[in-house]
Amino acid sequence: MDSLLIAARAVHFAATISVAGVFAFLCFVIRAEAPVPLARRLRWLAVASLALAALSGAAWLVLLSARISGEGFTAALTRGAAATVLLHTRFGTVWSLRAGLAAALAVLLALPARWRGKGWRWVGLALGAALLGLLGWAGHGGATPGRPGELHLAGDIVHLLAAGAWVGALVPLALALAETGEAEPGGGAAGTGQIRALVWRFSVLAAVSVGFLLAGGIVNTWFLAGTVPALIGTLYGRLLLAKITLFVAMVAFGSVNLLRMSPRLAPAAARDAGPLRAALGHLRRNALVEAVLAALVIGLVATLGILPPGLHSEPGWPLPFRIELALLSPPAVAVLALAAALAATFAVAAAASAAAGHYRRAAIAGSGLALCALVAALVLRPAAQPAYPTSFYAPAEPYAAASVAHGARLYAENCALCHGRDGKGDGPAAASLPRRPADLTAPHLFAHTPGDLFWWVSHGKGGVMPGFAPVMNPADRWDVINFIRARAAGILSRTLGAQVTRAIAPRVPDFAFETGHTQHTLDRLLSHGPVLVVLFTGPPPPARLAQLQALRARFATAGPALLILDLDPGGAAPEAAGMARVEPRAAAILPLFRSPADGGETDLLLDRAGEVRARWTAASAGGPVAASALTVATEQIRELPPAAESHAGHVH
Amino acid sequence: MLGHRLSAAAAAAIAIVLAASTAAAHAFLDHASPAVGSTVPGAPSAVTMWFTQQLEPAFTTATVTDAGGKSVASGAAQVDPKDPTELRVPLKPLPPGTYSVSWHALSVDTHTTEGHFTFAVAGR
Repeated sequence: MDSLLIAARAVHFAATISVAGVFAFLCFVIRAEAPVPLARRLRWLAVASLALAALSGAAWLVLLSARISGEGFTAALTRGAAATVLLHTRFGTVWSLRAGLAAALAVLLALPARWRGKGWRWVGLALGAALLGLLGWAGHGGATPGRPGELHLAGDIVHLLAAGAWVGALVPLALALAETGEAEPGGGAAGTGQIRALVWRFSVLAAVSVGFLLAGGIVNTWFLAGTVPALIGTLYGRLLLAKITLFVAMVAFGSVNLLRMSPRLAPAAARDAGPLRAALGHLRRNALVEAVLAALVIGLVATLGILPPGLHSEPGWPLPFRIELALLSPPAVAVLALAAALAATFAVAAAASAAAGHYRRAAIAGSGLALCALVAALVLRPAAQPAYPTSFYAPAEPYAAASVAHGARLYAENCALCHGRDGKGDGPAAASLPRRPADLTAPHLFAHTPGDLFWWVSHGKGGVMPGFAPVMNPADRWDVINFIRARAAGILSRTLGAQVTRAIAPRVPDFAFETGHTQHTLDRLLSHGPVLVVLFTGPPPPARLAQLQALRARFATAGPALLILDLDPGGAAPEAAGMARVEPRAAAILPLFRSPADGGETDLLLDRAGEVRARWTAASAGGPVAASALTVATEQIRELPPAAESHAGHVH
Repeated sequence: MLGHRLSAAAAAAIAIVLAASTAAAHAFLDHASPAVGSTVPGAPSAVTMWFTQQLEPAFTTATVTDAGGKSVASGAAQVDPKDPTELRVPLKPLPPGTYSVSWHALSVDTHTTEGHFTFAVAGR
């Protein structure tokens, strides 16, 4: 079923691109009424492409309806799923519009030449471009919400239209070259002049289109693959890389045409019919090779569109190491940037020289490229860190109270024997082991991705630690990891003070709480801005509560929001005083972020990512948080670079 | 100290590598009320789910069942016409217990996704 849908999509893309391409060719390359035999062939190409587009479009609709409704192919038609998709979804609306455009194009192509009017090619181009561009609304780009969505959609449409102008005009170009070859068997100055102008105009169209294709493609890649692991670790990303490789090959063939074949059409070189005919043949052959490569690209596009984008799949990391650029010193980064810029220059020079037939120059530029690669590899060496296939997995369980609380139980049962109850690597069995178990409380824990930890918990480490994959399901393993990270985050948070930290900031797990009868979660509260979490272990003194109330009123508009909690399980939180009730699981894990030495109150200032940036306690020298300190700290948080989306517990 | 700086650098690197644009080409559950996995003190009158993308009402459904697998919805799941990222299932009065929600969504770019979560209603 999926392969049928992919096939229908591929044929539809190709046919629609071909329809738009014929008109782009007429408007931008021929620029006048085509000679009659060519005009006839182009018209047949447009008619055939349009018919194919209509059929494959209908097949796409039916196959998609079957896939969506989970019914069979015929059931989708007879039981109304196809009709529902057509009438009640956005895809259906787009399809209805496009059917109208296709009908208008059919009428235009059916009109006899004398009824068409002078501007008919431009009307056809507008209709063909709309038919092609509207496909953007049926793809990934049409669904990203908000402003980024508009950018993504615009990128998609630009990409589609540029593909139509270049790829769609390849077959018309081959037809036109064949036509001129037949019409002017002897060459002739006038004929070669026309061919040269034609090839030149096509090259301009192609070059401009490649520029737009690249721009649109980069926008799309950013939105859908976005990261290196997503690009090289997922099926989506790898198909995308294959597509880019094919695209580079297409550009190479196009460059050979432009740089090497078209000069042979020059009047001086074209006195003899033989070389001219050979050059024309090469041009035509290269155009057709480009068209075949383009068909392969379209097949990949058709497949990519039904796969989940790379950003939403677990990337399997294929290398035993990963590069952490942040480990490089600024001079090293500068050298790397220079090497990259030089490499790009050498690559372009090598490709251009090879395309123009200057093989020695190409070899020199190629050596320069290799040298740049060597320098880059040497510079990057210290930034290489060990990595595992799961290194870039996002935790499958959200970093939240429920997961952390469950992970704490599992840790006590499975891990404490060696790593110790408190995670310091000093469990009862530790002394008998050949290697000391890792201290899971050190900040070094955060140098490893959650995916690294997942690999070790699953498959063991160093020949001493056993793998827990046989006894714990993946969700349980993620719960343990969430607990370990929450505990280390809590320990790290105790080193913070009133001074806002710019270094690694420990993240508080998400939890639910209630005010009145309304349930909220920390993550929702954080989506509005920084939050000051005030933890009490027992009923707060009324005087302090009054102070906090005043603080809340003062920061009501500018933020941070105040979340005042009593962690005492028996404590009855006085809601009238603006306190919230937490669920028991959260009350059990929040003490990870406290220390008995704190006294009765611990104040945690969280940035929007939920990371603790500053901390005050009842027992600290300056006492618990006050208005002036909070103003300063909040100001400093705002000046911090916007937190990169935290990896811990971010689940798609 | 060096450890701190190294780990900070490492974390920054990870964050950069993983810094994903928030684009969502499939509709995933962003958050829900009652919150995923949470315990609420009183019976909620509905389960509301917010997704990362606009939903197609014609092909988006959700069910809420009790521990015995019996549906506790008092009506059909509905996509909010004003905010098509919001899906709401009205509920019968719920006795204390654990309830599971499963959803099946079609996003406007014609991709289907599904998922499930639980929440609990505490006894008073």
